[in-house]
Amino acid sequence: MHDVAMIAVESQSAPPPKLPPRRGRGRVTLDIRQTISPWKQAGILGGSLAIGLAISVVILDFAGIAPLDLAKELAGVFNADSLRSVLVRAAPLILVGLGAGLAFRIGFWNLGLEGQMVFGGIFATAVSIYDIGPESTRIVLMGVAASAGGILWVLLAYWMKVRFRVNEIISTLLMNYIASYFLLHLLYGAWQDSKTAFPQSSQYRPFERLSDIGSGVNSALLVALAVAAVAAWAVHLSRAGFYMRFISANANMAKVVGVPVRTISLIVIAASGAAAGLAGFVNVSSQEGRLTQSFFDGYVFSGILIAFLSRNDPIIVVIVGFLLAVLFVTGQTLQVFYQIPFTMVQLVEAIIVIAVASSEFLIRHRIRWTR
Amino acid sequence: MTSALELTGIKKSFDGVVALDGAVFAAKSGEVHALLGENGAGKSSLMNIAAGFYVPDIGTVAIHGEAVALSGPADARARGIGMVHQHFKLVKPFTVAENILLANPQRHFRSGIRDIRDGVRKQAVELGFDIDPDRRVEDLTVAEQQQVEIIKVLLGGAKILILDEPTAVLTDVEAERLLETVRRLAQSGVAVVLVTHKLHEVKRYADAVTIMRGGRTVATADPRVASAAELTELTVGQTAPLPDRTERPLGPTLLNVGALHCARSDGQVMVADTSFFVRAGEIYGLAGVSGNGQAELAEALIGARQPLSGEIWLEGPGDIAAAPAAVRREAGLAAIPADRYAFALAGSLSIADNFAVATIESGCYGPPWLIDRAAIRRDASEAITAYDVQGVRSVGQKAALLSGGNAQKLVIAREFSRQPTVVVAHSPSRGLDVRACAAVHERLLAARDRGAAVVLISEDLDEILALSDRIGVMTRGRIVAEFDRPADRQEIGRAMVDHA
Repeated sequence: MHDVAMIAVESQSAPPPKLPPRRGRGRVTLDIRQTISPWKQAGILGGSLAIGLAISVVILDFAGIAPLDLAKELAGVFNADSLRSVLVRAAPLILVGLGAGLAFRIGFWNLGLEGQMVFGGIFATAVSIYDIGPESTRIVLMGVAASAGGILWVLLAYWMKVRFRVNEIISTLLMNYIASYFLLHLLYGAWQDSKTAFPQSSQYRPFERLSDIGSGVNSALLVALAVAAVAAWAVHLSRAGFYMRFISANANMAKVVGVPVRTISLIVIAASGAAAGLAGFVNVSSQEGRLTQSFFDGYVFSGILIAFLSRNDPIIVVIVGFLLAVLFVTGQTLQVFYQIPFTMVQLVEAIIVIAVASSEFLIRHRIRWTR
Repeated sequence: MTSALELTGIKKSFDGVVALDGAVFAAKSGEVHALLGENGAGKSSLMNIAAGFYVPDIGTVAIHGEAVALSGPADARARGIGMVHQHFKLVKPFTVAENILLANPQRHFRSGIRDIRDGVRKQAVELGFDIDPDRRVEDLTVAEQQQVEIIKVLLGGAKILILDEPTAVLTDVEAERLLETVRRLAQSGVAVVLVTHKLHEVKRYADAVTIMRGGRTVATADPRVASAAELTELTVGQTAPLPDRTERPLGPTLLNVGALHCARSDGQVMVADTSFFVRAGEIYGLAGVSGNGQAELAEALIGARQPLSGEIWLEGPGDIAAAPAAVRREAGLAAIPADRYAFALAGSLSIADNFAVATIESGCYGPPWLIDRAAIRRDASEAITAYDVQGVRSVGQKAALLSGGNAQKLVIAREFSRQPTVVVAHSPSRGLDVRACAAVHERLLAARDRGAAVVLISEDLDEILALSDRIGVMTRGRIVAEFDRPADRQEIGRAMVDHA
């Protein structure tokens, strides 16, 4: 029988002692790594990802998609038509990934990305419905309104946290339901499409839509990339980014040494909500062209996944967001041609999250099997 | 008689940094053997080797005369070596009995835990501890947790007991009680190794003392024969002279605390109606038995705790009791908190970042939109040299890898790099060795001579007496007496305990 020799418990500041391997019968020893090279870290992460993907391939095989067919479908993503939809899908994914990553960086667990997307969509649509502003700047105004909607919805949760100590994991998550029922209230009520009587808003006019800007690239992607660039700068180069590291590492200490914890938290959380709100906006404006019942569905999970995989780094968020879009577009094809349910795609997502989460353990610890 | 535990010619280095270089140690059964040395002298490393946590690069470990190659802590435990670490290895949400079961696995959980429970009760009675095996560890005081650790080790059958700085976390009364127990244990035939840097403990409780310096064993002596001065000389190498005090005229009041009330996190009011003032160029010492509101007062002063009511007035911004900590920083307040990793350092971030974080707001490391990393690294490297922070291979390494004394020096380097006008220091030399302690005191006196107002909160009366110009005694959240220098030690002591 193999058992774990010793698990160091709550080592706060003192570096935990290293455990030498035990001789005799086989045994698994576990120790905490003091340091790890970035290459090894990337290797472990990549390895876990590969294992997660391998499991996904096996499951899809059981669902009736032979690995070879799967490879063919994946390769098919790179023809012009599919690539276009990948790029369109990537924009909101990158934005929710940024929203999640920014908040996670300061330890604010914003699980309300969907609610913030909903309010982003609602605010943007309000600008369209009430014809606010001139046509030439309408699209910009919709973007600003969407950000404001996302900020409003996330700051409500932050205010409850500060004022009443309500855990934001619970408040943001539950506020998703409030937001989605408020959306239904609008879509089955005042904002219902009068022409079709479907529960959706009426079609945006052409100048209210994020359009293609040539060679298959939608301007939604430009919005996402611009936000990612600003976030990357803020996180890596600015003083606020420097402070953010202290807030997440030790908020009490940060407060005492004079870091403006409240201000930075407020700005970062607002930015998180704004990114999610923008995600809602680019989604409705570039894909559906109208407010629908389910334009936000599944994005909170995707946002967490992207933030997780990218370790909250805005630059890597862009890459992961793109890869996830590939997964989604392939998933759609698979749904159509192989009749697998959408939950299969979510299952693959979940497997990848678990694989990455477990890689964290291997990055922090070293497991050795000694005989 | 052969030694119960004997280590010879031990060498050990970590990532190229030599921690032990030819260390020797031998303890007999039935004696309390003190291991004395400064921070970083290699005491803990040596004992971690004895307890099987580290494998020595060179050297032998012998138990009862037999050379052994310990393959791990479990092996060491099986051979009767038990170690109680400075940071307890207990699972907080578990009960006492469960924790002990975890360290001493039994075949069956139910009968095992029953046996353990009985064992704990018996052992507790023998040692004179009052430990209920069914209480959760998180509900126990620090002293009680330490007792659990000792019971855990003894129930594991330890005949060689290593205590790593056991009294560092205890009050004087608790420490005395523990050391009495340790003496009795030794009389019953256990070899006790007492790792410490407190000379008076060695003089009072140890049968033998081994002194380490810089990873080497420098001497083994009989503490009843050797004088305190001799032992100090051996420990420190050269005795650090107390800095001279220059008398200067006092300046205006820089800090005024008025009718301050603070509550602990559980709502208990710990600071009740505390008022005092500190002038430019003086050190105001706050003496008192630990737990009389000093911690809460210090936290309120540095901005870590919101007071219930009252005033904290600083020259410049005025009353800052309700203001964020950033305001007092701008006014030139320096904070040296007692718990370094709670309020002064972010262990997971680099030394350079920890150094720069307090001053970066001033713009000295570039504009808000672009921080100047090169300047941060340069200034941090300079400060580390100037303040003699040791064990730094690169300013990019994590602050948590610094030893206690060096972490404190890093805090002081940062806090004093800005020429503070008001300094709040809470137990600034706690856990530090003689030399680091002297360096800290020198910095506090230098700040005072430069015209800063210094508040020194300490449970160590010697420290208070050596440094303070005026002394307030804090009891039950109030300042019950004040004394001018030179203060009478006896009178202060009486004020600390007499006040009902």
